[in-house]
Amino acid sequence: MNRKQTLGRLPGYAVLNLWVLFTIVLVGWIVLASLSTTREIFTNTLLQSGLHFDNYIKAIVNHNVGMYFINSMIYTFAASFGIIVISAPASYILARFRFRGNKLIQSLFVGSLGIPQIMIILPLFYLASIMRMTNSRSLLIILYICLNVPFTVFFLLSFFATIPGSFEEAAAIDGCTPIGTFWKIIFPLAQPGIITVGIFNFIVLWNEFFIALIFANTSELRPLAVGLYTMVQSMRYIGDWAGMFAAVIIVFVPTFLLYIFLSKRIIAGVTGGAIKE
Amino acid sequence: MKKVKMILMSTLVLITALSPAFATGQQEAANSDSVNLVYWSMWNETEPQAMVLKDAIKDFEKMNPGVKIDVQWNGREIRKTLQPALDAGTKIDIWDEDLERIVKTWQSYALSLDDFYGKAYPSTNGKTFTDTVMGSLQTLLRSFSSDGSLYAVPYQPMVVVVFYNKDHFDKAGITSTPRTWDELLQACSKLQAAGYTPITIDDAYIDLPLGMHLNRMYGNPESVEALVKDKTGNLWDAPEVMQTAKDFEALAPFMSPQVATNKWPAGQQEVATDQVSIYLMNGTWLPNEVMGTTGPDFRWGQFPYPAVTGGVNNNGGTYGAQGFQINKNCENPELAFALLAHLTSGKWDKELAAKTYGAPMDTSMPWPSQIEECRPIFESLDSWIPWSGGLAADTDAFPVIKAEYTRLLAGQITADQFVRNVKSALK
Amino acid sequence: MKRDNKMTVIFLTPALLSFCLVFLYPTIRTLFMSFFYVRTVTDNLGKWEFVGIGNYIKLFSSPMFRQSLVNIFNIWFWGGIAVFLVALVFSVILTSGYKGKSFYRAAIYLPNVVSAVAMATMWIQYAFSSKYGLFHSVFTFLGLEKAAAFQWTSPDNQFFAMTLAYCFGMVGYYVLIFMAGIEKIPVDYFEAARLEGANLFKQFTKITMPLMRGVIKSSIVMWSVTSIAFFIWSMMFSPLDPDVGTITPMVYMYNLVFGRNLTPTDPRLLNAGAGAAVGVLMTLMIIGVFGLVNFLIRDKKLQY
Repeated sequence: MNRKQTLGRLPGYAVLNLWVLFTIVLVGWIVLASLSTTREIFTNTLLQSGLHFDNYIKAIVNHNVGMYFINSMIYTFAASFGIIVISAPASYILARFRFRGNKLIQSLFVGSLGIPQIMIILPLFYLASIMRMTNSRSLLIILYICLNVPFTVFFLLSFFATIPGSFEEAAAIDGCTPIGTFWKIIFPLAQPGIITVGIFNFIVLWNEFFIALIFANTSELRPLAVGLYTMVQSMRYIGDWAGMFAAVIIVFVPTFLLYIFLSKRIIAGVTGGAIKE
Repeated sequence: MKKVKMILMSTLVLITALSPAFATGQQEAANSDSVNLVYWSMWNETEPQAMVLKDAIKDFEKMNPGVKIDVQWNGREIRKTLQPALDAGTKIDIWDEDLERIVKTWQSYALSLDDFYGKAYPSTNGKTFTDTVMGSLQTLLRSFSSDGSLYAVPYQPMVVVVFYNKDHFDKAGITSTPRTWDELLQACSKLQAAGYTPITIDDAYIDLPLGMHLNRMYGNPESVEALVKDKTGNLWDAPEVMQTAKDFEALAPFMSPQVATNKWPAGQQEVATDQVSIYLMNGTWLPNEVMGTTGPDFRWGQFPYPAVTGGVNNNGGTYGAQGFQINKNCENPELAFALLAHLTSGKWDKELAAKTYGAPMDTSMPWPSQIEECRPIFESLDSWIPWSGGLAADTDAFPVIKAEYTRLLAGQITADQFVRNVKSALK
Repeated sequence: MKRDNKMTVIFLTPALLSFCLVFLYPTIRTLFMSFFYVRTVTDNLGKWEFVGIGNYIKLFSSPMFRQSLVNIFNIWFWGGIAVFLVALVFSVILTSGYKGKSFYRAAIYLPNVVSAVAMATMWIQYAFSSKYGLFHSVFTFLGLEKAAAFQWTSPDNQFFAMTLAYCFGMVGYYVLIFMAGIEKIPVDYFEAARLEGANLFKQFTKITMPLMRGVIKSSIVMWSVTSIAFFIWSMMFSPLDPDVGTITPMVYMYNLVFGRNLTPTDPRLLNAGAGAAVGVLMTLMIIGVFGLVNFLIRDKKLQY
């Protein structure tokens, strides 16, 4: 690379660095605030009395962050798993076989991607209420699964379409049932697509707020996003802002670490997910 | 593929391991020989109030063997989740929220408690329960209901007042708290002369002074509600409105320059960090909320919202409490009420007040030093004014009025502009 | 290969059932419900009162609902333009051979994986604070007193502040998408153009943009769907009752159906039927945007 080219790129680098720097300062300030006292935060004298790690202990002990974290794990893993179990076979059938109604089903699934949650939330709440299922973990997981099936089916179509039919034929000769063939042979072959869409669903569910706000809203059921929201709300009664910023960081760090280690995969998942549409 | 299998397997293990936890939400009576009460709480499990309640409930269970209280800590979202749950027939014996809200919105689900009030309970020292509950709160409770009965048990009384920093008042040479609007303005200019920023407030409470001022002017919240609901805008031409706007216009130069941009709790922190002297209006809970900043030794003072020139009713105020209700379908109402008596009188009432720097229900107890000046105010109020004085009666008009009022208070618009803007926005 | 009927049924049924349960049935019920006065969501059909298009009339006569439409349009339109422009610039820069490409890409995308509640708290409590806030400090340091005194969260500016904070977080997502789109364009095209003396700008307008049609199109649809669901940022900026500057249709619906936060709502004001009508209107808007986008950006054969 010659000098002229490097010079020409300076403005570009400047803009990029400024943008990234802004993010770092934003997060960095919260880190510092989470180690200060509430008084220091509001008098702009962060860290003047040294590091207060007890904010973190308070946040974990007083604010239930650990519980919210476990909840998020349960919801996200169980739902991501359930979505694949339901979507992959359906997607396979739709990609593989021609039959009446195939195109109709496909377009219904695609169409549902455009239906905003606001359109479906009220009847779902009604159903949950009359079945006395509000405020239960299983309900939230079932909803998360059902809400993400159409997208996942749609996403996986092309992956199943590219797998040559010779695999099934060979399996059939070996006496394998069609259902067994799918799980033993076809499903593993679609692995790249399944991992990609799995990660995409994972990120979406991890940060999901609205459905959880409405359907899982007690101390012991909240996932992180709603938990953090209620923590901010209950500051009205506690006034422990340093503790709250510590909670923000506790919520932030695991996602951040996961992101650092998996950023390639996550980015691939997200771009794969969106470019498809 | 191995990885996928691993993830799937570990998920399965996780789910199986946690499957007992999946049952939450369905409360079934555990044993036939034990009595179960289900309490949906307005608190988050981690709040100081919840911690005290938790201990109090444990104490109650110990005193009443065979009684089991299931608590579901909903937090403030109970405002949205309780009614659908009740409609769907979920077993909920007790719930709590703001007194006005529970009686006005959930009366039809609640049990009338008049009979229970007449009895004595272990924590009431031989007196009837009626005698342990502040008379003003009982009157209030009856006035909220449609048939004049008692539909709730109050706890944590509160009153909305003006807060100030006593040190600042001393240094500025202000010897008595302002009783009229003019005295407030004089106090503000003294504070300013002494080098302080006189007064501030947050977005979360900014509607309170306007609502109170209009109530002082008109003498009743109904007129304020009519004003807000007036789609023609004609009512806004009234001299009372203009006078109110002019009063706030006069106050604007003394406001903190941050006032328009204050996102709660930025404004109350201005006071807590010694930068501003007066917090225009807030509830009894303010000192507790900023305790982390002020420390316990901050010299808080309070005075009632000042009388206004031309005012009709200068002795009204916003006061209230949290309250418990009992489901009208509750199978053990006696037991449920005994629990509420246990929670809201005697030892645990004291404990709750101490842990939250709040006011106790017990009238023989002193109020915490941070809010001791609230007590005479609470006892002297002769009429009740709803939160924000009726301004919130119209959900469409309220945010508009609030925004224009914020501009007025920040000195960005004049009194004339305020009235004009509101009028045109309401049409 | 032969189709096994039993397998088709077994494999398709769960997906179809889930679709009917959470999409088909609710959509029909919401549409139906929007023509009735329904006090609470849990009221069964027997308690519904037919009001024709009464709910829609009521919505449009409400200044706050109209305001929520204005807000959502501004977020969608102006926010969309800003996000797409910034994201395009970043993705063009990053795909033209800069060092540290994956670092920058990851760093710019980061705000997107963090819970919006955490991000909003950072913005409101720190960046926008007019006392010790980031903007305040930077502008004071630069000697720009006027800019430093800017009241970010006052009624006049809080819509702008909220949109800015929201868009900042969204840029990263579209940078990923656009970069993926650009990287799919064969390098030869650019080389050929460079040999013929086309500068970066020419390359962008003549090669990148035309070949990115499909990506842009799906991004617009994506942006529209997420904009309609604008909720959490609004709740964070006005945690008690909605403000003029922050209300969106979703928040309006939430308050209409479940009651307000700060002051007790008059039970007679609750109207789940009107809430359903908000949902129907939002769905119609998305369909409208689909149509518009399909009309404006015709598919050309060559695109990546």
